Amino acid sequence: MGDKSDVLQGTLDLMVLKTLESMGPLHGYGIARRIEQVSDNSLILNQGTIYPALLRLEQRGWISSEWGTSETNRRAKFYSLSRLGRQQIEEETENWERVAATMARFLVS
Amino acid sequence: MDLLRTLPSRIASLFRRNHLDSALDEELRSHIDLATAENMTLGMNRKQARIAALRSFGGLTQAREAYRQRRGFPILGQLAQDVRFGLRQLHRAPGFAATAILTLAAGLGATIAIFSLMNALLLRPLPVPRSEQLVVIQSQTSEDEQPGQRFSAPMFRALEKRHPALQDVAAFFDTQFQVRSGSGSVEKQGAMVSGEFFRAMQTAPLFGRYLTPQDDRPGSAGGYPVVLSEGFWRTWFNSAPNVLGSRVTIANVPFTVVGVMPRSFIGADPTRRPELYLPLSAEPIVDAPFDMTASGENAIWLNMIARRQNAVSLEQANAALSTVSVAVLEEAVHNPDRLKSLQKTNFLLTAESGSQGETYMRSQFRKPLLVVFSLCIGVLLLACLNLASLLMARASARERELATRLAIGASRGRLLQQLLAESLLIATLGTLAGVLLAPIVSRSLAAMLLGSQRNVYLDTSLDWRASAFAASLTLLTGLLIGLVPALRATSGDLNQQIKNGSQSRPFREKHRLLPRALMGLQVALALMLVIGAGLLAASLTRLYRTGLGFDPNHVVTLSLDMNKQGLEGDALIHWYEQFAGALAHQPGVRELSFNMVPPFSGIVLINSLHTAANKLAFQNVDTNEVGPSYFQTMHIPILNGRDFRWSDTATSGNKVVLSASAARLLFPNQDPIGKSVLAFQDKAYEVIAVVGDTKYESIQAPAPPEAYFPITQSTQKKPSYNAVVRLDGPAAPFASTVHALTARMAPDIPAPVFNTMSGILDDSISSARMMALLSVFFAACALLVTAIGLYGTLAYATARRTGEIGIRMALGAQRLQVVALVFRENAWVSISGCAAGLIAALLASKALASFLYGTSTRDPWVLTGAVLALIAIASAASLIPAIRAAKIEPIEALRTE
Repeated sequence: MGDKSDVLQGTLDLMVLKTLESMGPLHGYGIARRIEQVSDNSLILNQGTIYPALLRLEQRGWISSEWGTSETNRRAKFYSLSRLGRQQIEEETENWERVAATMARFLVS
Repeated sequence: MDLLRTLPSRIASLFRRNHLDSALDEELRSHIDLATAENMTLGMNRKQARIAALRSFGGLTQAREAYRQRRGFPILGQLAQDVRFGLRQLHRAPGFAATAILTLAAGLGATIAIFSLMNALLLRPLPVPRSEQLVVIQSQTSEDEQPGQRFSAPMFRALEKRHPALQDVAAFFDTQFQVRSGSGSVEKQGAMVSGEFFRAMQTAPLFGRYLTPQDDRPGSAGGYPVVLSEGFWRTWFNSAPNVLGSRVTIANVPFTVVGVMPRSFIGADPTRRPELYLPLSAEPIVDAPFDMTASGENAIWLNMIARRQNAVSLEQANAALSTVSVAVLEEAVHNPDRLKSLQKTNFLLTAESGSQGETYMRSQFRKPLLVVFSLCIGVLLLACLNLASLLMARASARERELATRLAIGASRGRLLQQLLAESLLIATLGTLAGVLLAPIVSRSLAAMLLGSQRNVYLDTSLDWRASAFAASLTLLTGLLIGLVPALRATSGDLNQQIKNGSQSRPFREKHRLLPRALMGLQVALALMLVIGAGLLAASLTRLYRTGLGFDPNHVVTLSLDMNKQGLEGDALIHWYEQFAGALAHQPGVRELSFNMVPPFSGIVLINSLHTAANKLAFQNVDTNEVGPSYFQTMHIPILNGRDFRWSDTATSGNKVVLSASAARLLFPNQDPIGKSVLAFQDKAYEVIAVVGDTKYESIQAPAPPEAYFPITQSTQKKPSYNAVVRLDGPAAPFASTVHALTARMAPDIPAPVFNTMSGILDDSISSARMMALLSVFFAACALLVTAIGLYGTLAYATARRTGEIGIRMALGAQRLQVVALVFRENAWVSISGCAAGLIAALLASKALASFLYGTSTRDPWVLTGAVLALIAIASAASLIPAIRAAKIEPIEALRTE
């Protein structure tokens, strides 16, 4: 089922982690909006796909979640980065940069 | 890898599904609310804002489903779906479901039951550390068919002294101890063990200490020690913590408790479970008035078990034993004749794996159990084949459904998975029902095998070994019944099937070969089972029909244990006479007498007799001591002379009664009455009667020559006899009156053991009986299952040919021709199945030869009978669909086309 979107999932994971790193604890909607904003709306994200991704990251212990209150006083689940998640960002970033650099070389030649 | 890492949270989610679902819903709701609120700040109204929020979210349901899949186990969900669907399918066809599950339950239940018996006897290791190091010591000579497992005390002591390659060599003797309780004495299972026994078992006591080589020395000061089992400590001493130092009186001698073994410890014979352990040196006390130790090389009574040294293989242990065999033999055997004959036959000590402990029952029941187990597997296989054909028939009824599902995109793998899930479901339900059934079956099987043997435990509980067997059997059964039908059902040409539906499919020869082969296999298998059962049953009836020489019906025996009471010699004989007088007045007693060794008890006393005329011609004769009017009581014909009387006392001259064959051996062509026989160091005995031959050792063995001596002239100090009573009425009320009578007349002796002669007879052939009864039962099941299978498949195939038959009849086929047409289908299957089965049975039945009495494995009656039975059953099963086909009205049949 999820096999075909694995590459995208990987990128989405990194985006979520990076968002949490720069913004601190954030709820699902906030994360989705932030990703849209940062990508300057060039990435059209089905906001719903963020939730399986969040679950995946939580299962791996990279993020943790707890219920809290939003800026508009709505009860919402807030996600924050764990220590493991911070390490993971470094790793994933390196990976991504390597892939991007390789791709760039292909595209240039 | 990822699955492994997220496994805990996935499993946890299985149990909190509802909670997690509502949490997710709450989270998604808050997402939409937040998005709506933000959209409203951009100037949309509430409705527009909400629609925009939902649009940017994407599919709510899809997100939820993806989330759930990520959370739990998608395969588990699919499986649950398949199981639910399977249950619905079974529910829709309750008749099929019940037949399938019950058939399997019977087959699997019986197989699991027999497996748990084999597990108890043959597979389960002794619950001691490193049981694989244990070996059973055996003796082997070139004359023995089977190795001997019992040894004399001198032989054991000789090996105990030198045992290369073995760490500890121990002897043990399981027997009954008479333990004094408040009012009288009770019998308890006990063991006498040599010094290194517990060390060989490597099991630490619960507390206190176990017996050591120091305890195993005769006449040690301060009395003898006893080690208790956990069970004895619990029941006898109420688990008192200060039990060490307490006394237990065994055979009128106090023993001091020195230790208690843990509950897991069951001794070296898994079927005995001793409650008390005494040092072997205490044997003369416990066994009094007998003394096996003093009998030296003449008493062969000890079992030997040993532990291999670390890193010594069984082969190395055997090699080491063979190097000491001669030395052990020379030290232990002093009788020159015996020594010479043992040396000549290459006496050898050998070691066999003893990880399951040592029990005589293993050698006795291994082959019968294996035979029954294979019969059982045969029936199970038959049931599986039958269900496979039934499932195949059902699958072809579902062809259209399956084809449709394939057409709208289901993968073949997914369909296979679902069909197999259905058959596994059937197998699982069958196993569950069978597992419930198994303890009942195994308990009654064990009861049938053991007969009246008391103090024998067969632990048939379902341990991990039996459970693993049941689980793998389930899986195998599920695949066996499901795989072929499922593969076939999903293999067809989609277009063809959808176009044609199920009614008017063209006649395809290829497609009908497989079910026919399956049915033929069933017939062959059933015939094999029927032939096996027939042979075993014929052998059993022949066993029962053979003349015993006496009439066992309505005869009961009452064994009286006089070893530990006060009376001796003539006083005791006088007591027997009084007891006989009192018994004779009990209601229902017709005749009574006494004997020392009842027939078929497994004990045979052999003595050498000769005559004054021919001093050198020793004849080995089975001997017994019997009471007055014994021959009358047993209905043994007195051919010549008179019965014993109470007045034949020691002073009235020694008397003997010979059986006809003994008389012929000792006095060829003479009238033996009044002549003398020399026995027991050339004492003369006057022959007062010749009686008919009777079987003595076993039903299978021919009647041996026998000599009977009167109990009134016994030379034993405290002889124990069995009262033999012929009754008019039922045995049960007599048993209770006789118990009261014995308790009054001999309060010091343990309650007498009551047996019926026909029970002893049944017990003596218990494994033959079990095999015959079970195999007949299995054969009946096999016939029934085959009949159902033949009927079911033919009825189904015929129903699908209704249209074709209608056309044939419309074109002028006669009803008889239609009957023949349908009948022929099964006739071919049955005949070829029978032929194959007959050949296979002739090859396989050789394995049964050693179990058969007076019956050849090619017994023509049994073979013919079995084939006829199968053909009769097959014809009956085929005739019904054939007649039904002949009743088809052509018009009706064609209209439904």
